[in-house]
Amino acid sequence: MSKDINKSARIKLLISRIVVYGILIFLAFLCLFFFYLMIINSTRSNAQLKTGFTVIPGGHMLENFINAWNDGSINIPVGMKNSFIVSSMCAVLTTYFSALTAYGTYVYDFKYKSLVHIFILAIMMIPAQVSAVGFIQLAYKYNLTNKLWMLIIPSIAAPSVYFYMRQYLEATLPLEMVEAARIDGSSEFRIFNTIVLPIMKPAVAVQMIFSFVGSWNNYFMPALLLNKAEKKTVPIMIAQLRSADYSKFDMGKVYMLMLMAILPVMVIYIILSKSIIKGVTSGSVKG
Amino acid sequence: MSVKKVSGNKSVSYARYGYLFILPFFVVYAIFTLYPQMLTIYNSFFEYYRDGLTIVGPNFVGMKNYVALFTKNSSGYIPLFKFLGNTVWLWLLGAVPQFVIAMMLAIFFTSTRLNIRGQQFFKTVIYMPNLIMASAFSMLFFALFSQVGPINQLLVEMGVIDKAFNFLGVRVTVQSLIALMNFLMWFGNTTILLMAGIQGIDESLFESARLDGSNATQVFFNITMPLLMPIFIYVLITSMIGGIQMFDVPQVLTNGIGTPNNTSMTLIMYLNNFLGTSKNYGMAGAVSVLLFIITAILSTFVFKTINKK
Amino acid sequence: MKKLLSISLALLMGLTAVGCSNSTPSNSASPAPAEGGEGKVLNVWTWNTEFWGFLGKYYADEVVDEYTLKKGDVTIKRTTYPSDDGAYQNALDEALLNQATAADDDKIDLFLAEADYIVKYTNSDATMDVKSIGVTDFSNTYQYTVQAASDAKGTVKGVSFQCCPAALIYRRSIAQDVIGTDDPAAVQAAVADWDKFNQVAADAKDKGYYMIATTNATYRVYSNNTTSPWVKDNKLSIDPNIEKWMDQSEEFVKNGYTAYTSNIWGDEATSEMFGSGKTMCYFGPAWYFNFSMTNAQDKEKGCFGDWAICQGPQPFFWGGTWMLAATGTDNPEMVADIMNTFINNEEVCEGLVKNEAQFSNNQKINNKYASDPTFGNEFLGGQNDTAIFAELAKNIKFQNVTQYDQLCNEGLQKYFTEFLDGEVATREDAINNFKDFIKNKYPSITVE
Repeated sequence: MSKDINKSARIKLLISRIVVYGILIFLAFLCLFFFYLMIINSTRSNAQLKTGFTVIPGGHMLENFINAWNDGSINIPVGMKNSFIVSSMCAVLTTYFSALTAYGTYVYDFKYKSLVHIFILAIMMIPAQVSAVGFIQLAYKYNLTNKLWMLIIPSIAAPSVYFYMRQYLEATLPLEMVEAARIDGSSEFRIFNTIVLPIMKPAVAVQMIFSFVGSWNNYFMPALLLNKAEKKTVPIMIAQLRSADYSKFDMGKVYMLMLMAILPVMVIYIILSKSIIKGVTSGSVKG
Repeated sequence: MSVKKVSGNKSVSYARYGYLFILPFFVVYAIFTLYPQMLTIYNSFFEYYRDGLTIVGPNFVGMKNYVALFTKNSSGYIPLFKFLGNTVWLWLLGAVPQFVIAMMLAIFFTSTRLNIRGQQFFKTVIYMPNLIMASAFSMLFFALFSQVGPINQLLVEMGVIDKAFNFLGVRVTVQSLIALMNFLMWFGNTTILLMAGIQGIDESLFESARLDGSNATQVFFNITMPLLMPIFIYVLITSMIGGIQMFDVPQVLTNGIGTPNNTSMTLIMYLNNFLGTSKNYGMAGAVSVLLFIITAILSTFVFKTINKK
Repeated sequence: MKKLLSISLALLMGLTAVGCSNSTPSNSASPAPAEGGEGKVLNVWTWNTEFWGFLGKYYADEVVDEYTLKKGDVTIKRTTYPSDDGAYQNALDEALLNQATAADDDKIDLFLAEADYIVKYTNSDATMDVKSIGVTDFSNTYQYTVQAASDAKGTVKGVSFQCCPAALIYRRSIAQDVIGTDDPAAVQAAVADWDKFNQVAADAKDKGYYMIATTNATYRVYSNNTTSPWVKDNKLSIDPNIEKWMDQSEEFVKNGYTAYTSNIWGDEATSEMFGSGKTMCYFGPAWYFNFSMTNAQDKEKGCFGDWAICQGPQPFFWGGTWMLAATGTDNPEMVADIMNTFINNEEVCEGLVKNEAQFSNNQKINNKYASDPTFGNEFLGGQNDTAIFAELAKNIKFQNVTQYDQLCNEGLQKYFTEFLDGEVATREDAINNFKDFIKNKYPSITVE
């Protein structure tokens, strides 16, 4: 009898496992399918693309790449350069200054300390779009459109990164350590740069990645701010493909441009997926 | 607390460093966010736009922009309400499956009975779309689903349809595609967050429930869900706040006009339209203020969940 | 805290008020050319590369790269924005408003404009009298191109390098099948007015063809024959001829005379230009062949030579690219030189006709080729298109234009297409959507 129960339970488990794996595989397929199509299509010539659909690569990858790289209206090398400048600068500034600010409200006692902390939390959820109107108006008024630093400098004040850093500090930095360093005669900035920052390395790394990815993919503000061809970032160029009237006839090139737009982030993800996913989870400490 | 006591006396003399360290944040915030926000609010009371090479205004008009926002247009509806409705609807279309599936997957992954193998692989794959450039993802869908795109070619070849279907001209398919993209981009993220939440629940609670003879459904509703609630609400509301800001995907897919019949025009697309040709700072300001109010209300909930901890 | 906030708020508001009061546009820079020699950089603004290509080939000494040319010791630089949704206009407006304060080498010297919005620039101080800088000989140009580049008082602000009478472009093989002939005169007789055109559409359908690739293909023919402007006294109105286009489009969709309802530039409509396409008619001027019919010219899959043109049901013109001289240019001599080159240099104009399949803005040259029996366009199976265009050019009138036309034309087609696709219940709904779109783009226009 007990053997039978065991058996039926095992069969039940087997069935539910099959169903669960089935669901997982289907969802994984769904996630990969569209990108698979994109990669396949980026290897096919325009003529091949017009003839119909296949699952095998077309062998025109290099040709599409050269066409995409040299395209006259979508200057992707320049876009990637601009995006790279903005994203990496944002990643550095946002993590450094958020850590600095978090350290400031955590370690030091000053009059409005808790008020400052609560204020930053309160503004955390205000979307960037709310300040966009005024921001754009100022940019036009002072002739600051088409300046990349207009996208970089604001990243110094990033409430959610601050929040993350603050959480991390609370969990990892014993204040005695700061005390000890002071006794050793280190200056406050030195303590932060040489002792605290190294401790925060994991948090900084995670936030740098998210910040980089976030800026790389950002479309709304750059699209309002940048309209000069040599200043555009990648997302603007990609969106431009959608409205380009004459230049998009070569679909092979279009797929290649899209592939190039997401490739840097994909490479980062493939190398660092484990820590990125961990970062998402530790971000949930937020909740 | 005890730590603070140790540093108590001395820290007073270090107070100025506290101000110094937070100074860059606040200077930048004041110049690049707060001031523009104030300016946005200020603008909303002015008539201020471009007419070709002429700048009209700024002329103080009081509440006129707000009145205009709540006035019916030629089509006989209040655009603000319609586009807010669209935004909520599009969010729901993606978010409902997103949360249902994410919850399911979180339970699968944390189930010791199922003991899913290859978790790292599945997590890596389902999280990936979250990092994809939304505008590129949307452009990809546009290319794939256009009348001469591969999806139509595939369907015709397989004999499912005999003539290319206009996926991007029909409300149901446009909205479904937007929802599908939002779903794909966010369900992995939600899964991982909910999983972390479930893993944070004391294992002994599950254990004792099982000993009491509860089945899986009972365990879910009596233990998992109630204890997961704070995190669930947090994830839900941040998703709402993200949803209110929905822009890249519908903007690129419909080339900014929310096809068809303005049914996929979101609130931010509406805002963006004012900032294009007409540079209508007045009306755009009014829309922004309303957006601010909506997110402020939602944010209070988030704020409460954070502060509870 | 509250007090602090309100104080800072008040402060900021004060700041803003001060800031706003001095933001009036300053475009009063004198039109007089800069003294003491020409600038070293000539900035040209375009929305595509068509003219830029000709500038490189027929004017510059050296093509440095896609954005840079050299002429003598002057560097010619291109700035390009896409035309769609008014993006080019927006960027240009912005730059022209800042022209007075821009550094000499950043100032726009020459910019291109299209018929759909050229009046905005000719009627403003942002452009200058080209006669004053030495463009004076308009004896060979087509009258309408001069009129279009002039302001309300008749001051000429620029020139066009092309003349754009447009025609019906048809597939010879399909015409053979449907009408029984591919002879331009006979085809013209069969499609001489819209009723006849629609009749041929029915015949084409019976034979398994489409009359047009998209309903938007005939739009320009109708919109160019309107009797009222889009906007008059700041009021939007829809011309009866636009209504007729809507009637026809509805009819064509219902009867299956059109392959698609999409954008004419899009992949759907242009895919019909391949040899495998089933569409008989397109509409366009000379630039359309090279610029928009690349699929038809495709070596493997195209149908080069299987085309011909005739006047079609209604004469019209479409587009045209004007170069306007920007006020404040530091290169007035070169700007004038470029303009003179493209309208009066016979060698260059001949090159445009002979090598580029353009219909130039020089009547003498055009007429020379029009009457040359050995001259023909290979793409059109050897037909002498210049002869037909020369005839059509005589009728062009530049009228009922406003600065709002680009978005009115784009918008109406977009929103009416939604009705054709069955996603908007009635034509009125589509028109209302269009009106809301225009109201949003141009707050100064009243809709009804």
